[in-house]
Amino acid sequence: MVEVLQQIINGIAIGGVYVLIALGLTTVFGILGIAHFAHGSVSMFGGYLTFFFVTSWGIPLLLAILIALLVGLVLGVLIELLAYRPVRDANHINAFIVALGLTMMVEGINLELFGHEQVVIPTDFSRVFNIGGVTIPELRLYVILAAALLIAAMTVFVERTKTGQAIRAVAENRDAAILMGVNVKTIPLVVFAISTALGVCAGVMVGSLFAIAPGIGEGLVVKGFAVLILGGLGSIPGAVVGGLVLGITEALAAGFISSAYKDVIAFVVMISVLLFRPQGLMGKA
Amino acid sequence: MLNVSNLRVSYGAIEVIHGIDLQVNQGECVALIGANGAGKSSTLKAICGLVPATAGTIEFEGQDITNQSGHSIVKAGITMCPEGRQVFPQMTTLQNLRMGAYPRKDAEQAADVEEMMDMFPILRDRAHQAAGTLSGGEQEMLAIGRALMARPKLCIFDEPSLGLAPKIVAEVGETIARVKEMGKTILLVEQNSAMALRLADRAYLFEAGEIVLSGTGAELQSHPDVAKAYLGH
Repeated sequence: MVEVLQQIINGIAIGGVYVLIALGLTTVFGILGIAHFAHGSVSMFGGYLTFFFVTSWGIPLLLAILIALLVGLVLGVLIELLAYRPVRDANHINAFIVALGLTMMVEGINLELFGHEQVVIPTDFSRVFNIGGVTIPELRLYVILAAALLIAAMTVFVERTKTGQAIRAVAENRDAAILMGVNVKTIPLVVFAISTALGVCAGVMVGSLFAIAPGIGEGLVVKGFAVLILGGLGSIPGAVVGGLVLGITEALAAGFISSAYKDVIAFVVMISVLLFRPQGLMGKA
Repeated sequence: MLNVSNLRVSYGAIEVIHGIDLQVNQGECVALIGANGAGKSSTLKAICGLVPATAGTIEFEGQDITNQSGHSIVKAGITMCPEGRQVFPQMTTLQNLRMGAYPRKDAEQAADVEEMMDMFPILRDRAHQAAGTLSGGEQEMLAIGRALMARPKLCIFDEPSLGLAPKIVAEVGETIARVKEMGKTILLVEQNSAMALRLADRAYLFEAGEIVLSGTGAELQSHPDVAKAYLGH
């Protein structure tokens, strides 16, 4: 039982990372219908940047994360303006090709700037808590808390603010949103800025919990899309539930079967869910 | 208040509005009637900035709003209650109403939500229900309430009775009459010409992208051509 709890805690930590990645992907998909494949690589860029600030410039960790977050906001705006806006009214395949090109470009930039060695963001959170036999490393606890805080903040933003409601409105009915007075040119900028900032947070978490290396971002974006499909496309609660289900399943599979099979088992779960709920766990039929 | 002159609208190479002139004065209810495809809805869309005007001007309160973006036209004071209701299906009734007040920054928005729910009691019962699960008539009331939440100077109704049961159509007619009594200026597009002409102070008859007849609601109601072609007697 303790062992199961232990794996669930581990699963929640990685699940939190998946949720943050998926939240960005799902809001972008919701309002623009774009599969933003570069999201993982951009997120890892944020992780690399934080690593660079801490190790090369000696900036304290929290400040480094804050700067990386701000860079993420700006980067999101630039991606929307320069990469996706020009193909807004073109055939969907164009945005798809832009997304793939952008992924390769950002991966290349990461490689050029930060090298091919894997890096771990150094933290001095080395305490380990023990609650009823379940061990929780301090860092993992902070990752879970930070992810929970960010998810809550995102939910409050979308449900309780006018801009957040406008994002939902544009996703549900673009023309009607225009009639409500929503500026449909600025909403995508807001969405990309927030999504990228959330991605940067996920990048920092991956970089401090595990490691960042070339290709990690691409792997993560595949998981992110798996979460979207699992939870229901465009649904924010779906991203949260889907991310946690995927994270916990992976951890249980790694703990009790084999870590080599964890991805296989995670995708088996996804396929089984889709057999019974093709619209995803929280999706509307 | 609203002054449209020589408006032309094209979809690609095909011109659908061939230079029309129409006016709406403060406090008036003006109806646009005519057959399906005569260009009524395209005229509305051009006014609201959803489709571009290829020629002509649209002035609102002396200000040129031709080809401005949709959201700045809403800010200027024109709100449209669109054809087919177009509620946000997964948002609740309450969230839909609040969305109507999107451009407003005053403190009376919550009071206005209450006012809408007093006006349409069914919306209070459905406040926390997803709008997509409401019946057609309830959605129409929601769409009208949502449009009024913007406190528009000019309220445009595009085919409010379309696809509704006859009993509900009568209710929609009464609702528009109430909106008129509130002192709102109304531009109404309806295929249900009898209802539109009863409500309207003035009306324009559209045929194939042109205005062929205009006059007071009563004049058009008794005009032999209109009576024969659109009122069925």
